[in-house]
Amino acid sequence: MTRRAWQKLAAWAVVVISLAMLGVGFAARSRTPTSYTVTIDAARFQPPLSVVRVGDVITWVNKDLVPHTATSRTGGFDSGAIEPGKSWTYTATRTGDFPYLCVFHPTMTGLLRVK
Amino acid sequence: MKASIVMCTSWLLLSAGGARGQAPNDAQIASIVVTANQVDIDAGKLAEAKSHNAEVKAFAQRMITDHSAVIKAGSDLLAKLKVTPQDNPTSQSLKTDGDKSLAHLRSLEGAAFDKAYMDREVAYHTQVIGALDKTLIPSTTNPEFKALLVKARPTFVAHLEEAKRIQSSLGKKH
Repeated sequence: MTRRAWQKLAAWAVVVISLAMLGVGFAARSRTPTSYTVTIDAARFQPPLSVVRVGDVITWVNKDLVPHTATSRTGGFDSGAIEPGKSWTYTATRTGDFPYLCVFHPTMTGLLRVK
Repeated sequence: MKASIVMCTSWLLLSAGGARGQAPNDAQIASIVVTANQVDIDAGKLAEAKSHNAEVKAFAQRMITDHSAVIKAGSDLLAKLKVTPQDNPTSQSLKTDGDKSLAHLRSLEGAAFDKAYMDREVAYHTQVIGALDKTLIPSTTNPEFKALLVKARPTFVAHLEEAKRIQSSLGKKH
């Protein structure tokens, strides 16, 4: 192959690889968000560990007799009081481990892991 | 400490009744549960008004909110089940002892009040959880009412843990 032919091939390779990467990125961005539910009952978060991805939606449903909160210890989210029979929804915006608790009953803890 | 000794008599009455085979019926348990919650709400209202300690005040507010919510859930269910709470020696004794405990707390100020209130909360929640486990939950016959008591129990345990933590932190400040 001539030098010019090699250059042409390399240019095409760059174009193809770039398009492929763009496609992967687009697929990731257009992924349908998954919804998760954490039930609050008998002073517990169930499940205590939620593993989600950025963009997913997590809803805490308070089925207990008393108000509770889902409050990150490291910032990022704080539901405020969720009254009995009510719920609170949060969309995960950044990756990381978010240990959380109920500020009204600090013995109640959970972990939201965003991948 | 005086307040704890006074409170013990109500629960002893309950366990003595149980030991003689006179387990309370659902209507009597309903009255005991409502009274026990109300007594703690009354103590919470006093602490909320009297204490100058932010943690103690927040705890008192939590007691008012949570125990009111438990009474509401219980009252709604009892109305649905057509069970009318029935006054009995244990609920009467709880009320009398609760009033004595409040009178004792009213006579205290500042750090002495905070300590007495938190000591009372630790003792009271320990006794309530003991009474639920030994007498109230086992004696309840209606499954929905029993389920409500089982559901409420972990909240009382969370209160006890928080009360112990605050009690301990008050101790360290002196």
